[in-house]
Order: sequence, then structure tokens, then C-alpha cells
Amino acid sequence: MTSPLVSIRGLEKRFDLSGSLLEQITFKGGRLRRRQEAVHAINGVDLDVQKGEALCVVGESGCGKSTVARTVMGLLSPSAGEIHFGGQRIDNLEGKAALPYRRRMQMIFQNPYASLNPRMTIQQTLEEPIRFHHPDWSATQVRDKIHEVMHSVGIDLDWGSRFGHEFSGGQRQRIAIARALVVDPEFIVADEPISALDVSIQAQVLNLLMDAQESRGLTYLFITHDLAVVEHFGTRVAVMYLGRVCELADTKTLFARPRHPYTQALLSAIPKLEDDRPNHIRLNGEVPTPVNLPSGCVFHGRCPYANERCRREVPAMIATDSGTQVACHAVEEGRL
Amino acid sequence: MALLEVKDLDVRFAVRGGDLTALRGISFSLDSGERLGLVGESGAGKSVAAFSILNLIARPGYIAGGQILYRGRDLASMSERELRKIRGNRIAMIFQDPMMTLNPVLTIGTQMVEAIEAHRKTGKKEARAIALDRLQKVQIPSPGKRLDQYPHELSGGMRQRVIIAIALLLEPEIIIADEPTTALDVTIQAEIMDLLLNLCEQENVALMLITHDLGVVSQVTQRMLVMYSGRIIEQGPTREIINDAQHPYTQGLINALPQMGEPGQRLFQIPGSMPSLKNVPTGCPFHPRCNFATEQCTRRMPEYVRSGNVDVACYEVANLIEQEKRMQEAES
Repeated sequence: MTSPLVSIRGLEKRFDLSGSLLEQITFKGGRLRRRQEAVHAINGVDLDVQKGEALCVVGESGCGKSTVARTVMGLLSPSAGEIHFGGQRIDNLEGKAALPYRRRMQMIFQNPYASLNPRMTIQQTLEEPIRFHHPDWSATQVRDKIHEVMHSVGIDLDWGSRFGHEFSGGQRQRIAIARALVVDPEFIVADEPISALDVSIQAQVLNLLMDAQESRGLTYLFITHDLAVVEHFGTRVAVMYLGRVCELADTKTLFARPRHPYTQALLSAIPKLEDDRPNHIRLNGEVPTPVNLPSGCVFHGRCPYANERCRREVPAMIATDSGTQVACHAVEEGRL
Repeated sequence: MALLEVKDLDVRFAVRGGDLTALRGISFSLDSGERLGLVGESGAGKSVAAFSILNLIARPGYIAGGQILYRGRDLASMSERELRKIRGNRIAMIFQDPMMTLNPVLTIGTQMVEAIEAHRKTGKKEARAIALDRLQKVQIPSPGKRLDQYPHELSGGMRQRVIIAIALLLEPEIIIADEPTTALDVTIQAEIMDLLLNLCEQENVALMLITHDLGVVSQVTQRMLVMYSGRIIEQGPTREIINDAQHPYTQGLINALPQMGEPGQRLFQIPGSMPSLKNVPTGCPFHPRCNFATEQCTRRMPEYVRSGNVDVACYEVANLIEQEKRMQEAES
């Protein structure tokens, strides 16, 4: 196997909740105490994104999938761990040194109503990244590039003089995709790009993303909570729960034979068109808070197969015979 | 007689420069204990339809015509005073965002007792007992404790359970649920849907479920309506529509689902997007996006035709049925 385009190693991200030093200090029982609290958004994630694939990261709200996307893009700095792009470590680069990598990776956000600058025309929105990354380009070069991209994502050229608010959600998302494509990136991080859109528009945008992948040889890191989209779009899938990857597999393998109990529950919960009396796997309780992580396997409190070891020991990723990588003691011990 | 019957309902919004028609000639009925799904994309008018049943549409919206018959009495022309006896009591409503519907400064118990006292003459103690019973029915963990908690202390899934418990307080005959699980995660959504389904069956409550999710509709409802641009374009038994949709829009909606496509292949897509109320196309509102549109479609809104047990408003379908009939006649 060739070396991955993007590789994430031991990634951790904590968000501090306790504020300044003075706010952390409390006086209790005649003593000063310092209390620190943090949201443990990502707790040790290892992922490789191969060139040309669409790696989907799925999970429910609060599992850390968006934080992974933002950390990879450099919008957040990791608390620990490394991010490599094309063999080069990029999470510690600053300023000018990071610039070439910023051009090679672009992001598409969830809400096209918030991600377009309301004071810029579409023309300006699309020009900005080019002028930033290619200051030496002539006006004609810039215009030709924008026209080429507008054409390829199905935007009318005369939209250029209009503003973002004049467009519908699907059209705005097209513009956001065009903005990501104008600098010819190799790698696109898409954070729930179709979740805010209607069903018929979702299909349009999904098709557009697939066309762009084919014609430009793009690599995607695709964040979503919608498993039906993953099954259609993803090359491989990583399932996240409470800041950890619990299962990683080829899309086909994952949907045919999910191994982790959480993945199984997640898949059984998708409302399907075929069956009118679904049999959901019921999980106990709800996702615990990422402030105080459970000991051992983060899923043990809701897992029907949890035993003593699961409460104690964090499961490591193991490879199974089907090619799936899964972090579960029950699978490892052959109980599942 | 149907429990609820909506006849030729028109809802308009009075804005500067004339009225916008949000609903045009909506007719449907709901039987006792039946589960009905209302499907459509944003802007189709499904929430307006749900809100107008209990006359909850705020100005500048108003009901411009038609009847909403609940047990033969017209809710559209009823006084606010009379309507209040039915709203929340005989017909309850569940909204999309549980945080918006619960009062953040009152405990769950207070809010539930308040709802009971508004409709029944009961003591505080008795009302609290009813509240506790409903919380048990929605299988909320440690229900007694929840009565004294505030909404912000509960998770999204639990809040929606509380909302369902409140809807059930006065043993309604109809629950109107407007996207009840859209704000929730898949696993929680599945649990809440199961719960709603089981409770409606147990208590024989009729459910009107508004959603954009065809998967949910197909699992929960017996009949469904598909709305587009303020009109019902197709209605009939859910299974029949899901398996063999007649209207080109419904077909497109189903085929555009990622699960209908071959993995990795392009999805079926309906070109364009839903028209805004300001410029609804003449004739069939779907014709600019429709592959089968003819000159006829641009002129007049098609009448409903019956195909199997499904009512469809489409000239193409009408023509096909006509052709089939002629062929059968020719054969015999």
C-alpha cells in the first residue's frame, strides 16, 4: 500500500472549561483547591486517509467528528498527537510554512447560510482564495479559473455579481464547493455538507461531490451522521464514539458485517423504506458527558456485552479476519 | 365518519403586495387510531397544514377558506374559547425542538400540572399523580425525580419524552407531531419513534406525523400525504406509495435517497428546487422540474385521479390510466 495522503496519529483535543486560574481556585475545608475541567472531545484517534478515497467519519452529536475535521484542517490545534500531510508533519507549522498545505486542503462547512460572507458577491467570494494563494496570477488567469470552476459545479456565470443571501441552500452549498475547488486542492474536508439541505437537493450536492472527486482526483474526509449517505459515498468508514474510533472498515464490509456493538446499534437504527416493523437494537441510557469520561471502554455503560474487563481496560484497535479494525474486548475475546 | 376531516383548506399569508397562498385546496381525513404521515421538503406547507388544524397560524397567516371538521364540528370557524377546550385536550401537539416548547424557568412537574389544571378540575395532588403516570408511560428513567427538575437538566431525548408525556396528559384522541425527532440523533430518534408508535397503538390515539424523512414515514404510518408547494400531490396507503409512487415528484424524492442508488454511482436527482410562495408556477407547481411535463401541465392544476388506492394529481398518470382503460376496452 502506498503511503497515505493524510495521516492522523494519536490525536487528542481537550477544551478547557475551567477558565482562568482565579476561577479555578476554590476555598473549601480551610484549604485552597484548584479544580480543572475539560471537555475531552478527541481521545486518541489514529486515522489514515488514502489518496483518492472518501473516508467517512460517522457518529452521533458530541462524538468528536467535527473536532477531528477542524483539527486536521488546522482550525484547531491538537492537545496532543500529530497530523501528517503527504509525509510532512503539518500540525506544528505556522504562518508562511503552513501556506502551501492550506492551499492543498480545503474545507466545506455544514451550514451554507453561515459559511458565505454576506457582504461579498459570489465573484469576490470565489476570487479571494485564488488571490490569496496565487498573488502572481493575472486578472485573466483568475477569471478563467473561476469560470472553469463555476461551470463544473453548475453555477451560472451571471451569479457572480449577486450576493449569498439571494440563493437557496443548495445553490449556496454549490458556491461553497466552488470556493473550495478554485485553488485546486487535493484534499477536501467536508463537515456535514448536506445535512442542512432537503432530500432532493442532497442528491444534487452529493452527485456534485462525486463528480468532482472523479474529475479532479480528490480525496475526501467526509464527516456525517447520516449512514445512508456513508453507504453510498464512502470508500471506508470510521465510526466514532465519545472521541474514539471504535470501528474502521471498508464501507461494504462495515454495512454487511458490523462488529462493534455500537456500530450494530447505529446501523439498526436507520429508518429504512422496506420494513414497516423495525427491530432496533436498544441501547441503555444516553451518551455520557465527555467531561468525565467513563473508565475503560467509553461505550461500556450502554453496551449489552460489557463485562468487568470493559469497565477497567481501554480496548485497543485490533484487525479481524474480515479486514475490519475494531476496538472491542468482546470481539477480541470471541464473545461477539 | 372520520375523526378529523379537512376539506378544501386554503391558508394565506397577507403580505405587502398581496396574499401569498401557503396551502391551496388541501383535503384529507384522519380516522380514529390511524397514523398518517405528511411528507414534503421545506416550504411545501406541511407545518402550516399542521398548525392550521388547531388554528395556531400566527398573523399575517389566516385561514382563507375550507373546513376543518373534528367530530363534525368546524375548528376553522370556532371561537377561540371553544377551540381552547379542544386544543391540548382532545388534540395535542408535539413540536420539533423540545427546548423551545418547554418553559426553561418552570420545573417539569409545574408545567405538567399547569396543563392538567387548564382543562380539568383536579387538585394539585391528583394532577401530580397523573403527571407521574404519564412520565412512567414514556419510560423516562426515575420519573419521580424528573417532576422537580428543570428542562435544562435533561438530555434532548429525555426532553422529547417529557413532551410526549405532556401530549398524553389529557388522553387526547389525536396527536399532531411536527418533526418530533429531527433534532435528535439516529439511535435516540429510533427509540422515540418506537415509543410514540407503541403509545399511539396502546392508547388508540390517532397520529399525524409531519416529517421530511421517508424512512420514518414508512416505518410508522399507515397512510401518507405528499405535499409540494402548498398542495397535496399524492395520498394513499404508505406501503403502496413507497413501493410504487405515482407522482413524478414522489418518485424523484424516493429515488434521490442514497439508499436507492448503487453505491458509488450518481444518485437520481430532481433538477432545480421548490419554488418560493412568491412565484409559484402556473398549472402544476412541479412542472418546471418534471421530466414528463407537457403544455397541459403549465395551464391548469391537474385533478386527482385514482390509481390503485392512491389519489394522484398528475396529468401524466391520468393519461396512463386512460390509455390502460382504452386498451382493456379494445381487448374485450
